[in-house]
Amino acid sequence: MARRILSLWLPRLATDAWTRDRGHDATRPLAAVAGERGRLMVTAVNRTAERAGVHPGFTLADARAVEPTLVVFDADPQGDSGMLARLAGWALRYTPWTAPYGTDGLVLDVTGCAHLFGGESGLLVDLAKRLKHAGLESCAAIADTPAAAWAVARYGGTCRIIPPAAQRQALDPLPMAALRLPAGIVSELAAVGLRRVGDLHGVPRATLTARFGPEPARRLDQALGRLDEPVSPHRPVPPHTARLALPEPIATPEAIARAVRHLLDELCRGLERTQKGARRLELAVHRIGRTLEDAPQTLAVGTGRPVRDPAALQRLFAEKLDRIAPGLGIEVMTLSAPVVGPLGAVQAGLDGTGDDSDLGDLMDRLGNRLGPHSVLRLVPRESWLPERAVVGNPPLNPPANQSLRPLELWPADRPRPVRLLAPPEPIEAIAPVPDDPPAQFRWRGAVHRVRRADGPERIEAEWWRRTGSPRDYYRVEDTDGRRFWLFRLGLYQPGAKAQWFLHGFFG
Amino acid sequence: MIRYAELQVTTNFTFLEGASHPDELVLTAASLGHAAIAVTDRNTLAGVVRAHVAAEEKGLRLVVGCRLDLTDAGSLLAFPTDRAAYGRLSRLLTVGKRRAPKGACFLGRDDVLEHAEGMLFVLLPPDGRNDSGFAAELRRWRFDLGRRLYLAANHRYRGDDAKRLAWLMDIAAQARVPLLATNDVLYHTPARRPLADVLTCIRTHTTIDEAGWRLAANAERHLKPAQEMARLFRQCPDAVERTLEIVEACTFSLHELCYEYPDEVGENGRPPQETLVDLAWAGAATRYPDGIPDKVVHSLEHELALIAERRFAPYFLTVHDIVRFARSKEILCQGRGSAANSTVCYCLGITEVDPTRMVLLFERFISTARDEPPDIDVDFEHERREEVIQYIYEKYGRDRAGLTATVIRYRSRAAIREVGKVMGLSADVVGRLAGSIWGWSREGVDAERARQYGLDPDDPRLKLTLELTQELIGFPRHLSQHVGGFVITRGLLTELSPVLNAAMEDRTTIEWDKDDIDALKILKVDVLGLGMLSCLRRSFELLAEHHGRTLTLSTIPPEDPAVYDMLCQADTIGVFQVESRAQMSMLPRLKPRRFYDLVIEVAIVRPGPIQGNMVHPYLRRRQGKEPINFPSPELEAILERTCGVPLFQEQAMNIAITAAGFTPAEADKLRRSMAAFRRTGRVAEFRDKFVAGMMANGYTSDFAERCFKQIEGFGEYGFPESHAASFANLVYASAWVKRRYPDVFACALLNSQPMGFYAPAQIVRDAQEHGVTVLPPDVNVSEWDCTLVPPPPPALGGSSIRLTPSALAPPAREAGEVRRGQGLPGKPCPHPPTSWAPPSPRGAGGGAEWALRLGLRLIKGLDEEEARRLLDRRNAGYRDPYDVWRRAGLSIGELERLAKADAFRSMGLDRRAALWAVKALRSGPLPLFARLDDAAQPEPEAALPDMQLGEHIVMDYASLSLSLKAHPLALLRDGLAGIAPAERLRHVRAGTRLTVAGLVLVRQRPGSAGGVIFVTLEDETDIANLVVMPKIFERYRKEILSARLLAATGRVEREETVIHLKVERLEDLTHRLAELTAVPAHAFPEGRNFR
Repeated sequence: MARRILSLWLPRLATDAWTRDRGHDATRPLAAVAGERGRLMVTAVNRTAERAGVHPGFTLADARAVEPTLVVFDADPQGDSGMLARLAGWALRYTPWTAPYGTDGLVLDVTGCAHLFGGESGLLVDLAKRLKHAGLESCAAIADTPAAAWAVARYGGTCRIIPPAAQRQALDPLPMAALRLPAGIVSELAAVGLRRVGDLHGVPRATLTARFGPEPARRLDQALGRLDEPVSPHRPVPPHTARLALPEPIATPEAIARAVRHLLDELCRGLERTQKGARRLELAVHRIGRTLEDAPQTLAVGTGRPVRDPAALQRLFAEKLDRIAPGLGIEVMTLSAPVVGPLGAVQAGLDGTGDDSDLGDLMDRLGNRLGPHSVLRLVPRESWLPERAVVGNPPLNPPANQSLRPLELWPADRPRPVRLLAPPEPIEAIAPVPDDPPAQFRWRGAVHRVRRADGPERIEAEWWRRTGSPRDYYRVEDTDGRRFWLFRLGLYQPGAKAQWFLHGFFG
Repeated sequence: MIRYAELQVTTNFTFLEGASHPDELVLTAASLGHAAIAVTDRNTLAGVVRAHVAAEEKGLRLVVGCRLDLTDAGSLLAFPTDRAAYGRLSRLLTVGKRRAPKGACFLGRDDVLEHAEGMLFVLLPPDGRNDSGFAAELRRWRFDLGRRLYLAANHRYRGDDAKRLAWLMDIAAQARVPLLATNDVLYHTPARRPLADVLTCIRTHTTIDEAGWRLAANAERHLKPAQEMARLFRQCPDAVERTLEIVEACTFSLHELCYEYPDEVGENGRPPQETLVDLAWAGAATRYPDGIPDKVVHSLEHELALIAERRFAPYFLTVHDIVRFARSKEILCQGRGSAANSTVCYCLGITEVDPTRMVLLFERFISTARDEPPDIDVDFEHERREEVIQYIYEKYGRDRAGLTATVIRYRSRAAIREVGKVMGLSADVVGRLAGSIWGWSREGVDAERARQYGLDPDDPRLKLTLELTQELIGFPRHLSQHVGGFVITRGLLTELSPVLNAAMEDRTTIEWDKDDIDALKILKVDVLGLGMLSCLRRSFELLAEHHGRTLTLSTIPPEDPAVYDMLCQADTIGVFQVESRAQMSMLPRLKPRRFYDLVIEVAIVRPGPIQGNMVHPYLRRRQGKEPINFPSPELEAILERTCGVPLFQEQAMNIAITAAGFTPAEADKLRRSMAAFRRTGRVAEFRDKFVAGMMANGYTSDFAERCFKQIEGFGEYGFPESHAASFANLVYASAWVKRRYPDVFACALLNSQPMGFYAPAQIVRDAQEHGVTVLPPDVNVSEWDCTLVPPPPPALGGSSIRLTPSALAPPAREAGEVRRGQGLPGKPCPHPPTSWAPPSPRGAGGGAEWALRLGLRLIKGLDEEEARRLLDRRNAGYRDPYDVWRRAGLSIGELERLAKADAFRSMGLDRRAALWAVKALRSGPLPLFARLDDAAQPEPEAALPDMQLGEHIVMDYASLSLSLKAHPLALLRDGLAGIAPAERLRHVRAGTRLTVAGLVLVRQRPGSAGGVIFVTLEDETDIANLVVMPKIFERYRKEILSARLLAATGRVEREETVIHLKVERLEDLTHRLAELTAVPAHAFPEGRNFR
């Protein structure tokens, strides 16, 4: 039996995916952009934008000039190829042989499968309907060879099903680009008038090859089936994924927990082989009767450090599993670790020697219970304003900016108190104008006479965040030898009462 | 009373660090009552002249200085005490800069000591305290520099100032070095702290949120009053008083750099004046062979006397020498500038404007009021200017001749990009802000515009960004080289200003720009390049070779009525200066009939007269629609030539002097510094003085306001009468060649590309309309340049063209022989034309005797070297592409380019056949055949589809940007229902509603036109000029910006012979171009954008 190949083209995959993910209004002009030699170039557009005159290859500035209301997002080729891979998986409903092809298409070997969907035309109708429902624009065609199906899907007219052994009639009127030739060769052929696939038949093969190399003839042969073109339908499996197809749908919490444990064991074995630990885990739960548009339920947990102890990970999941609504029953579960980190081949969790592994465990549990932003560690931040000079960071990660450059130490000539009051407390102070240190001040009813003082250190507001008066800071020591950090808010102004505050204590 | 002078001042000429302009700092210091101010930028003297000018104006002493950042030690401030020491400082910086890459300066301690004589130094302490190494360094400097060394101390508001000062006092006393109070000034007012922070971020490539401790904690580095400085340094009052010590010791002023002329100019040791007088009279005798007119004798005597009095003879001789060199190399040149239009310059051959042909500009060419050198710019052929530059370097030596610098400043687009990035705006938002600026402007982005582009101007970050952008605009960013301003000195140039390497190899520039040089009254010669001079030189050569006429700029027959007829018709494509849309629309209204009218024409379409609303009154008066009267008798003398309306810069200045009571120096200062005033907002001050002065003398405030507006316009786009006269001379010369020898003109113009306003396609079309036969480029006939050849005989048989059956779809015909105006039908015509069409009605041309053969240079991407080799080895001609490949050794790529340009017709191959043949060479001949002198091996016939005329045209456009075969619109015409040919515009009444369509040639949005866009369309019959109002533009922006083929509907407007279509509706027809062929439309020109 002759092979029958379906080629699917998703002409607007990038914008359709974005529209689908963000709930974007598809009637508004949308474009994906990517930086290219310092300029932002449009790489994909939706139908509205195209109608408005925006095309891939425009610079963003040109596109905006043409369509000022254009909505723009950053192109995500990786995300798109991930989407394509997921679609290839979904398309298994039609045939066991599916594969992504290029950046915007799928190829399906539908030999002997079409009758299940009411014949080839029934299959095409079903496919188009489902994709359209999912918000994806598509074109598909079926032919004996992948090349012919590809050509007709992209360049063909209304007829989408090429009867067996009828490629030549279907292809002859199509433009040369339908042969999957590089753009350079297409334009070279066009220059001598060879624009349609059929034009090639009039040129002796040797003559053609002498001028344009072997490619045109090879591609033509592939399309016509004279040269075999193998399709290797396999789905690229993302690393660190475990999949569990259940023979019977499950619905009870216990069964789900067992299934998760099973997945975790499998995943951790994979992680161990590659010396990695999970930093983030995603559990996807597919219920019975799923369709493409019925996205799986997902749960995600994060860890502070790379982990591959199934029990520890199970505990993180345990608190969330009750959020799963099993409905009629779960038939497939996948667990993946999209973010991993290096983790040596130690036996984690066996004897408790990994001293801070307990701490990490605790942090993860606290974090997953209280929310990931509730457990923090204070690290220095470069700001002259004392109250902004520290910032909360994730407890175990290195500070985000530390990877960029080593955090400088606090400048040695700017001593800061060991304890800072938040907020600073108003005091009454007597000081010579305009900016001499105070001679004495009253704080919480007690009067302190200043014996020694240093300053002022003038610190102004961070103008790019908010405006405010400058502060003059003084280090003072009272007669009892206690050291304080005081400041006057605002510069000296004749007639105005100076506002003084106590902001911290030295020693 | 405490006296103080700030001696550590960083201006914004320490790029991306200083946050105030030098003049802002000087003005602030003056208003604070400082005794003096120094400017000490990092390793540069680039900002001192600005400061000098401002200080001069305020009567403040300026101490010239420099901060020396050393590679092997700390930093020092250096202050030269006298002229000699200044020369050493300048030399020192030159040494550091010449050995460093552009923009850097590598100096060591030893270099400083070598040049230290006569300078005072201030050592800057390190950032921290208790640095024992520094005490040692201080002692070392004290040992080497002795009593000329000071130690700086600042009050930095870092909390430890008292301790730090005590420490500095201590080590200073130990080393016996006096302590000097400074405030290490970075800006003139604390309000500039945000900008200083932004500059820090730009410099260190970070954002404001990431910059951390690199930013300033406070805003204390501004100029402070003397009392405040005394209070801050109350521990050691001496340090404040001591600043005066340095001020008094440093008596050097930039005034002393007064110019000394080079010695070379005097011949055989004769005094320059004597030489000049001889040369001038000898020149006069040559200029007027029939006897020197009395008028010329008088003015020559008068001018020579004035030159003698001012001792400017060496300057005139210097320029004369450069011009003489150019002449000897047959490089066409012409002088302009205020002094250039003197009788002396005409007699010396520096200029070509005969003073008897126009009202002379009196002795104003040298300002008697100001002690300022005359100003002569010389334009040379743009392609050969380099020869002149190298001559100057050779004659005077690199140590005595250098180019002036150009200060590259932040314009709005760059400013918004940099500030936006620093403020952390997304690339998208920054792009939107920058993209919303059409063209360069100094205005920045306003809130209204931001809103239009979907940005919220009330967003605090955005608001800050916009404010800071405004401040940053106008800040110097780096130094670049001026295009041709030369400074030539008698002594060493390096003792005048530091000399640095330019980006271009073999070029060195000084640190000062044109304005600085002017302000210091230092002489310079502008050696500039002008494309039209190249074109005219080629015209003269072609005239001599093909028409037997030997002409020069000065011997072109003057005042030819036919030339003025042509100009009145606005038939000026390619003519110097008057070929733009604006100029073209002015010509029929102005109706030039004599040379001086051209001078006015050149000057009137300029921002000055337009902003001053001077154009329409002038036109009305000239057309007799309004009486010519003068505001006052005293202004009659000034305004007589221009019907009582001020049009020239000189007139505006004269009005300021005569009517508004300005001194000549004030008037000049007003004009010169208009750009700077706009920034500092001091323009109002001048306006009040000007208007009040005029009203006091009895003028209306309305007239006064208009005069002032005009001066504002001139400030930035000055166009003096003397320049206009020189330019008018080129207008006339190029118009004359175009009118009398359109073949020569088109040929010379094409060979001088790129220049001017129009692409080759329009030049070729214009030539055809003037009766010139244009022939396509061909491997066997063309040269690299376009050439004039005998026209082919009317019938086809004579030409050596053999066409293969597969060539053109309709029976063969040589492409170029189809003439425009003959009405090429929409579909290929069945018979080749058998006779020449009469010249089209537009072409009043003198019937060209020669045909124009396009050169290979028009073929896009063709390598000149390879093409030259092709021509060298051509001999009797090539037989076929294989022959070309074998003999000329061209690469396949170049051969393909030639084939795609359809340049193999003489071999009987059309482009498709030629390309097919060339492609076969790709695999190379078989070794067996390689030695045979025969053509390539035979191969089986390939059935290639025929090439339609439409395809040919598309390919012509793709390769040559033009087609001689037919206009694409001619082929599409049948399908364009309801669209009139553009020529119809000429025949319908004003107000008629019409639709035309054509290729978009030019889109223009002049800054002075209030958002109106001018679009030029071209179809097979004519050019259509569209006027698009802003509202219509908003509606059809996509069509206007992206269409290549555009249909426009609107009402016809006409004024005299200028016809516009005022657009109401537009339609993008670009897709129709695809009907010509399957090839997408991008072969056609995108249209050029002008601003």
